[in-house]
Amino acid sequence: MRDKSDKRHAGLFTRGTPLLGRFLVWLRRLRVMTVKELLQFSRDGALILFMVYAFTLDIYLAGSGVKLELSSATMAVHDSDRSSASRELINRFRPPVFDVEGAISRGSEGVRLLDEGKAMVVLDIPPRFEKSLLSGAPTHVQVRLDASNSVLGLFAASYCRRIVESFGLETGLKRLGIDPRQPGRAPQVVNAYRVWFNPNQNNKWFMSIAELLNIITLFAILLPACAMVREKERGTVEQLLVTPLTTFQIMFPKVLAMAAVILAGTTLSLFGVLRYCFDVPIRGSIILFYAVTLLYVFTTAGLGLVISTIARNLGQAGMMAIITYGPMIFLSGAWTPPEAMPHFIRVLMLLSPLHYYIDASYGVLLKGAGLNLLWGSVLGMGTLGAGLFGLGMWRMRRQFQ
Amino acid sequence: MVDGFCKPAPQGESPVVRLRALTKTYGREPAVCGVDMDIYPGEIFGLIGPDGAGKSSIMKAIAGVMTFDGGTLNVFETRIDSEKSAERIKDRIGFMPQGLGQNLYPDLSVDENIDFFARSRLVSPKEAEKRKRLLLEMTRLAPFSSRPMKNLSGGMKQKLGLVCTLIHEPGLVILDEPTTGLDPVSRRDFWTILSVLLREKNITALVSTAYMDEASRFHRLSLFYGGRVLAHGSPEEIMAAVPGALVSFRTERQSEALSGLKARFSDVQARGSWLRVFVKGAGEKDAARQVQEAAAAAGEDIVELRAGAAELEDIFIALLREKKLTEESSHSVFTLSESDSIYREEPGDDGADIEAENLVKDFGNFRAVDGVSFRVEKGEIFGLLGANGAGKSTVIKMLVGLLPPSAGTGYVAGHGMLQAPRAIRERIGYMSQVFSLYRDLTVIENISLYAGIYGLDRRQSRERAGWILEMAELAGHENRQTEGLPMGVRQRLALGCALVHSPRILFLDEPTSGVDPLGRRRFWDILFRLSRRERVTILITTHYMSEAEHCDHLALMYGGKVIADASPGAMKRELATEAGELLEVDADDPLPAMSGLQEAGFEGVSIHGRQIRLLTRDREAAERRIREVLAERGTRIVAISEQPLSMEDVFVYRVMAMERNGRQRP
Repeated sequence: MRDKSDKRHAGLFTRGTPLLGRFLVWLRRLRVMTVKELLQFSRDGALILFMVYAFTLDIYLAGSGVKLELSSATMAVHDSDRSSASRELINRFRPPVFDVEGAISRGSEGVRLLDEGKAMVVLDIPPRFEKSLLSGAPTHVQVRLDASNSVLGLFAASYCRRIVESFGLETGLKRLGIDPRQPGRAPQVVNAYRVWFNPNQNNKWFMSIAELLNIITLFAILLPACAMVREKERGTVEQLLVTPLTTFQIMFPKVLAMAAVILAGTTLSLFGVLRYCFDVPIRGSIILFYAVTLLYVFTTAGLGLVISTIARNLGQAGMMAIITYGPMIFLSGAWTPPEAMPHFIRVLMLLSPLHYYIDASYGVLLKGAGLNLLWGSVLGMGTLGAGLFGLGMWRMRRQFQ
Repeated sequence: MVDGFCKPAPQGESPVVRLRALTKTYGREPAVCGVDMDIYPGEIFGLIGPDGAGKSSIMKAIAGVMTFDGGTLNVFETRIDSEKSAERIKDRIGFMPQGLGQNLYPDLSVDENIDFFARSRLVSPKEAEKRKRLLLEMTRLAPFSSRPMKNLSGGMKQKLGLVCTLIHEPGLVILDEPTTGLDPVSRRDFWTILSVLLREKNITALVSTAYMDEASRFHRLSLFYGGRVLAHGSPEEIMAAVPGALVSFRTERQSEALSGLKARFSDVQARGSWLRVFVKGAGEKDAARQVQEAAAAAGEDIVELRAGAAELEDIFIALLREKKLTEESSHSVFTLSESDSIYREEPGDDGADIEAENLVKDFGNFRAVDGVSFRVEKGEIFGLLGANGAGKSTVIKMLVGLLPPSAGTGYVAGHGMLQAPRAIRERIGYMSQVFSLYRDLTVIENISLYAGIYGLDRRQSRERAGWILEMAELAGHENRQTEGLPMGVRQRLALGCALVHSPRILFLDEPTSGVDPLGRRRFWDILFRLSRRERVTILITTHYMSEAEHCDHLALMYGGKVIADASPGAMKRELATEAGELLEVDADDPLPAMSGLQEAGFEGVSIHGRQIRLLTRDREAAERRIREVLAERGTRIVAISEQPLSMEDVFVYRVMAMERNGRQRP
């Protein structure tokens, strides 16, 4: 009886249809599901608004507002010498980097200012400073600085060292009777450096591209995760699971649709903000950049789908996205050079897709690199993506079977 | 209109609640449009109506937790017009919001929950302890006092909710749908406890329900629809608001007879193998004659015919029609286009379309489904009837492949559910318990989506969309997002989407939950046509006992087990032979009378407003005994009458019988 009834219940897309027909049905399923996702996205006004903001204003703010270099570091001077030499040294601490706020009369006052955060740098010039220099004896100055922000502290320390060193060198040269403005006559090494890829060391380029990559990462995790969790929350996924759709056909269209949305946002940002506002050059192939971005979105979306199989509601999905987003950025080398990291973290970095994507996109945009230079990053991203997507599918299947 | 305000209410007393022209609007949506109501001390006042009728809004306004836009409200003779004035009477009110255990704390034990409510209501510890012991004993919750609330059954949660609401001995309790989703046994239990408690403490109660068959539980009630009162008064008065009689009959050609009679009567409905006609303005005999004439004119032979009193639902629908609050359904008689080869029948091909064999499902230590077996024949409407948590949905989810069974197996459309879940998925339609279409897509977008998922091409998809729009009577809604559609329309759309690939077998999980009676009727009309004309096999779950009658075959589920499995008629006949008929005793003082009758050993004793119902095999002997027992207690009997058995009686009797057996065994 059971075999016979099979014929009676044969569906519209019966087995036995030719391979091509089945493939067409497969494509049709993918298409309707993707169109559905796009329609749903287009009805979510708040989300669209947020995306437009993130891909334009947010990146503009990051590019024009955030400065990494030291500027206007408040400085207090404890000049116990009050000589022309000490004044000359103090004069070399200039805006925009330093902002000399005033003189203090006791060393302990410097400590107080540092404690209260009213000064970042305190320069102590000892008595008999000028006399020692004139007599040819070595002398010291003391710089105390607030390095609670370690990057700025480091910058301040190195500026101070450079200023004091060059002052010392020039004083020494002068004493030897050599004009410091014509150093060619002295036996010293002159450092002539050439800046490549960003000759003006324009921070806007770096910051705006970094922010664009961050935003892409955020949405590539969040959008597919939320699309999936929303289906779980509302129970629509149950309805899909009792249709002949496979897990892949349920999950992949979300990634497809969200990738399209993210690429649209990237285009807006790339031409509307990066090129138009900051004149970021696109030295390599723009097609390669899109291809790499697409690959990256797929990879990161895989992570989003894994999250969606763990989270039970939108709130949880959002939290988990934020929790994974942090380490991803940290491990990407966006803020800190990978070379400066301890060994085990550098191994972990191989697991952050953003790490590869940063390499690849700075390579394409600023260095004009081609696939011949970037294949390593592309391969790394692809492998991670396949792994994450597979994990998501596996978890999803297990959850509903 | 029924004038129920003066008669049954205690004379001379001023009302506890007095409502005049109350209105409330949410955004642009009016929720309550000018409602008048008076509730007198000591009565159980009912608000009956479908979801969205405005019941909850009125209750919240009276409880002082929601402001309203217009009209006047007096509670305990205090004019409620500000938060301050509402605050003054709050300690005399107990409010239990909608939803099982919604006001309780899941991780606190029974004891801790009660203590918390007592303390927050500033009841002195000594007094609280005394009341708690008494209430726990009455609700039979005492043995569970240290159990966390989340581990209680639905019925126990509601009883605990009631205890927590009553711990500060309020003068007025407001209970918002306390029985929704409960099994009939817990429901009966709840009503009995409520009646006794209210009587003992002389508390007034305002209780809402979506079950029309609970009307008899109230002293007086208001019938609601769309924020308006359709009728108010005692149950009898409301039944008298639309005079008429109900005629049920069976014929050979049921669906032809249905369309034949629709031309003549406005309210004709198929219920299982019966057709029921509400004949307005006629006595029972006259109504029977009218139906017989109409059937004869349509050329149908009547096999069996009964005439009797209408049900509240018939009255409700008649009132809606009278007040023109409903758009008439076109009752389109849909036919399938020729291209639908799938529905072309091979004659003589019958057998089971769905079979469950000893299905078991464990969630951790909890056995949700315990050895369930049944067989659904081709073209049959099969109902799984039970409370929330009885295991109905779990059974369906296992059969459609959403959940793997812990043990046992099943066959759908000839395929083993373990071996060929994909083959099954292609051949079935499924409608899940929650509305599971996309709310941000329009009607037509949803249909096209599912058409594409099932692999229909553009032409097929257009054809099926047309069919669905016609079948589900969705014309005019095509381009609206489903978010804003009324419940009934949404459910019809969901049904349509489940049918997009013309499946032979339909699984419907509580499709009518939350739909108003009229919407439910239209839905059942469609199911009936699908089953009778297209021979679609339908497995449906419901917690409305009144819907059971629509099914050809029923399985009653309780605690994960099937406790009875037969046609509705057979179940009632079995009950009649085993336990006898249902007697209704109208007594002066029903509460002591009830306990007297229980002590006298009568079966199935329950209280319905002012009446007591019980089961008996020998009516004459029973009547004698009832009169004896009640005379001893000095209770005057107004009348004793026979009532038709309902599905609820069957359910309660079966559960009781099972529990008795269970207790004897160990």
